[in-house]
Amino acid sequence: MKSTAAIVGTGEVPTGNYPNRTEAEAAVTACRQAILDAGLSPRDIEAVMPVGVVMGSRHFNTDLIFSRLCEELGMLRSVKLNAQVMAGGASGSATLKVAYALVASGAVRNVLVVHSDKFGSTTMQQGIDLFATLGISEEWEAPYGHNANTAVALITQRYMHETGTTEEELAAVAVSMRQWGALNPNAMFRKPITVEEVMRGDHVCTPLRPKTMSLWADGASAYIVARAEDARHITPTPVYVRGMASLVTHYSVSQEANLAFLAFPEVAKEAYAQAGLGPKDIHVAEFYDAYSVMPLLAMDAMNLCDGDRAGRFIAAGHTLPGGKLPMTTTGGAIAQGHTGAGVGVSLVVETARQLMDKAGDRQVKDAVNAAESGSGGTWMDSHISILSREAR
Amino acid sequence: MSDQPMSRPVPKPTAWSQPYWDAAREERLVIQHCNQCATKIMNPKQYCPSCLSDDLGWSESDGQGTVYSFSIQKRSPASPFVGKGPYVVAVIRLNSGVQLLSNIVGERAFDVQCGDAVRVAFEPIPGTDITLPVFTLVG
Ligand SMILES: [Zn+2]
Repeated sequence: MKSTAAIVGTGEVPTGNYPNRTEAEAAVTACRQAILDAGLSPRDIEAVMPVGVVMGSRHFNTDLIFSRLCEELGMLRSVKLNAQVMAGGASGSATLKVAYALVASGAVRNVLVVHSDKFGSTTMQQGIDLFATLGISEEWEAPYGHNANTAVALITQRYMHETGTTEEELAAVAVSMRQWGALNPNAMFRKPITVEEVMRGDHVCTPLRPKTMSLWADGASAYIVARAEDARHITPTPVYVRGMASLVTHYSVSQEANLAFLAFPEVAKEAYAQAGLGPKDIHVAEFYDAYSVMPLLAMDAMNLCDGDRAGRFIAAGHTLPGGKLPMTTTGGAIAQGHTGAGVGVSLVVETARQLMDKAGDRQVKDAVNAAESGSGGTWMDSHISILSREAR
Repeated sequence: MSDQPMSRPVPKPTAWSQPYWDAAREERLVIQHCNQCATKIMNPKQYCPSCLSDDLGWSESDGQGTVYSFSIQKRSPASPFVGKGPYVVAVIRLNSGVQLLSNIVGERAFDVQCGDAVRVAFEPIPGTDITLPVFTLVG
């Protein structure tokens, strides 16, 4: 795939519990940061692509669709398109794909993608009840007490059955996330934990223990996609999109034909082919978590573990800061906090920050190529993107 | 979002799924199929997902299959299920090839493993005219 688009700027506000920070304020702040980071003026933006809001107010969701950001940030009569894209946890990968198509087609220059939501004030039971309906079939699944936790538990159990991955290895994923979270000023959990601490938590639903799951948080992040030929004039550090592969696999998780790996094997292969790169070329993996099993699927599918199982590779410490393959360097939803669809957007933002050399204490030295993954709802789609400092 | 407690989710049969729930009430498991291309369809649909035909029918299942995956919900379920646990949620692969979500019930339910053989059973939802197909371990 010829590099016809690149990320040129990013913005993000801290993730956590911010009851006095409105969703709009967070969105405007993240967008402003992204525009300034790119060195653009607001009137250079020709499309604004907000991601759907789940827990923030309906009013705010409508404001986003109805161009509030264009008015707040001085983009009136320069923006040609203000339209929402929503793919749940895959919204990072999905917005990247749509933004890519918009600039590659010549329809617009400079697309601003933004997510802002408020999950932090949700009570535990409200959140559980909401996630017993989202992506859960009312007729065929909800009557059995099924919910988002059991959906990912079904994937986790089958993945463990087929690969021999252990619960301690799943715990090691959370340990890796927390170590990265400790280096991330925007993360909610900044204290490292041990495998033993994770294993001391009783199962919520087997085989999931609380610290291998994530907690809801408020957050906002934004990034800007430009045409490749413009990107190199906009910023000295454009991050080119080299591959973007994805497949929608199911609505009801019970209908998934490959519960252990979803479509990650197919999309990994396609993303490598598009990028003209292979496993040895990937220097950092920004893989979607929400739950500890998800990055394992992507790590295995992309063959990033020196021929080993992802669980054993991670338990050996290879994805930690300073390790041979840094993974999810924000700390992911597990450490940074679960902002809903924003988990995916923040991973695209971090992928770009790493390749722009703007990742602060988390900076992976000499990272040239990065992989990013996403999966939305009850893991109903599998996305892998490959980004690079180098155009193809 | 609403602060109202959720009520127990009960299937609301549709025009195309009604035969499934009618059969379940008679303690029979039936699976939808396409009369044009023979595709077996689960979950039941308005049209055949292979050829989009509306010429669909039903066939009797022997209710035998294996556990493709499972999870034991031990705590923190959705509010209608609080106090009803622990319970087993599973994806069942029927021997005829289709998959469905269900519960594993019976005294050995918590010993379940991937690949275990199961057989259909039926549990009425009290106070409704709906009966849920569920599964028990066999052998
Ligand atoms: Zn058909």
